[in-house]
Amino acid sequence: MARYGMTIDTKRCVGCNACTVACKINNNLPNGIMWTRVLTEGGDAPDTPAGVFPNGKMRYVTLSCQHCENPACTKVCPVGATYKDPETGVVRQDYDKCIGCRMCMAACPYTGVRSFNWEEPAYALEYAVGDADAPEHQKHVVEKCTFCYQRTSQGKTPACMDLCPARARNWGDLDDPSSKVSELIASRSYQQLLADEGTRPSVYYLV
Amino acid sequence: MTTSNAPAKGGKALNIAIIVAAVLTVAGIALWAVQLTGGMVQTGMRNLDSWGLYITMFMFFVGLSAGGLIISSIPRAFGLEGIGGISKVAVWTSICATVVAIGFVVVDMGQPFRVWELFVYSNLSSPLMWDIIVLMTYLILSCVYLWATLRAEAGKVSQLALRVISVIALVCAVMVHTVTAWIFGLQASHELWHTALLGPWFVSSALVCGTALVIVVVIALRKVGYLELDQRHLVKLAKMLGAFCMVDLYFFGCDLLTAGFPGGTGAEVVEMLVFGPLAPFFWTEIVGTALAAAICFVPAARKNGMLVIASVLAIVAILCKRVQLLVGGFQIPNVDMPFAMTQYTVTNWQAGSMAAAYEGMVYWPTMLEVGVVVGIIALGALLLLVGIKKLPLKPAEK
Ligand code: SF4
Repeated sequence: MARYGMTIDTKRCVGCNACTVACKINNNLPNGIMWTRVLTEGGDAPDTPAGVFPNGKMRYVTLSCQHCENPACTKVCPVGATYKDPETGVVRQDYDKCIGCRMCMAACPYTGVRSFNWEEPAYALEYAVGDADAPEHQKHVVEKCTFCYQRTSQGKTPACMDLCPARARNWGDLDDPSSKVSELIASRSYQQLLADEGTRPSVYYLV
Repeated sequence: MTTSNAPAKGGKALNIAIIVAAVLTVAGIALWAVQLTGGMVQTGMRNLDSWGLYITMFMFFVGLSAGGLIISSIPRAFGLEGIGGISKVAVWTSICATVVAIGFVVVDMGQPFRVWELFVYSNLSSPLMWDIIVLMTYLILSCVYLWATLRAEAGKVSQLALRVISVIALVCAVMVHTVTAWIFGLQASHELWHTALLGPWFVSSALVCGTALVIVVVIALRKVGYLELDQRHLVKLAKMLGAFCMVDLYFFGCDLLTAGFPGGTGAEVVEMLVFGPLAPFFWTEIVGTALAAAICFVPAARKNGMLVIASVLAIVAILCKRVQLLVGGFQIPNVDMPFAMTQYTVTNWQAGSMAAAYEGMVYWPTMLEVGVVVGIIALGALLLLVGIKKLPLKPAEK
């Protein structure tokens, strides 16, 4: 039994989108699909600072599935196509089972972390990239971040964490007090996204 | 007795209407095939506004299906005088509306060929699953109720048995609307939806548009000489419609005040409804319902033509309410920080920024969706007309 979680150090994040790209490549995401995105706090468009010179301010919030301890999505899925993995606490998605009703998308409070393949997935390259055993994408089903289940189940770490040049991301078992994530959460102050929704996210933003 | 129960032969107009409905149904199915093969990217729905016209119409038709069944089962359940023998037509209308509602869920699904999974892998914690169960029960029960009514007229089913069935049907009708509301109301993620009032409010809205539909159908059928109905029965229906309208408005007022009064994020929701992009729907709904009630309550206004106008106003008002509820739920994103958008993010993604994408209505249907909707409604109309032609739905002679 484990409860996988992630910490994201907002003091380290430089908003470079390397995680967005790492995720895209390792999971061979179709065109137009992003499982993790870099949001700009303040500012009107991505990558614009808030405030007026010389008091401009810019902070990034990377957003992907929060792998909640109390997920809104798994409860409402009529066929159990999205479910909480009992071994790891990861919220998983079964493409073969999903009926494409999009109930989970309506239930998830984290705007846009779940995406639907609105048409036959198309790719920039003719051949698949990234992890060979990443599940194949399907038309008309919902998908999202799985904490790179294909990697973590083989003892590797999620792709976004691996490639982050600022080393802002850490991933590990929240139930193990000696894990890096547990140590960071214990020693740093942190925020959780939309904490008052009661979803108890497994992603912690270190501030 | 037997002659009056014989199916109506139906004139030429009825046959033409049936053919038109059938053609439109086939066209709708063809468009659905286009949607499935070419992808749902051809609809207006996107990741941040992931439901659209189909689910709106689903809610609306679940509501419409209420009226007939409730109106015909209430008098029987409580042993009151019935409304002039229209109950069979009314229940048939309900059945057709339920079929249409189920049709809308099916066309909204990305993988309709996996629909069997609903019965094999049922996740009983999902309000959607509850709704599918009660909707099926409701459909079956309505058919049983109609059949029992017919058998009772032929003396084959006792009045007591019929009364028991009508009580069960009534309870089930109320459940259908409540559970449909829960698909939305139990989701804390959308502030507009997340209110305990949503269940009762769906029931009241269902009564408004369901009663209105029955009034329109009955007046039309009387006009073409399909059935005779004493005006006092129509007046009774009109008074009921007026009362239901008032209840619906009352609920709306309660909800707006509760959301807006504390002045927090709820006030944003109220502002979005009253002044924002959804304001036209909001005001049509309020004014339409109020006018319908006024017509129903003023005796001098209760002419047939006016009653049809009142009913249509009430139906349009409730349709607006459905649009407002569905689109409004997506109109305010929980996380509204800017990010890079793609063609799948949100309907108006070309607008460039999140703020610009949400400036107008966040969702608007495409022609394909409208076409599929017309097709499904035509399917309901087809059922209704064929039923009127072939089934013995005429009131039995006293
Ligand atoms: S879209 Fe798929 S995963 Fe989401 S609730 Fe429906 S069946 Fe479940």
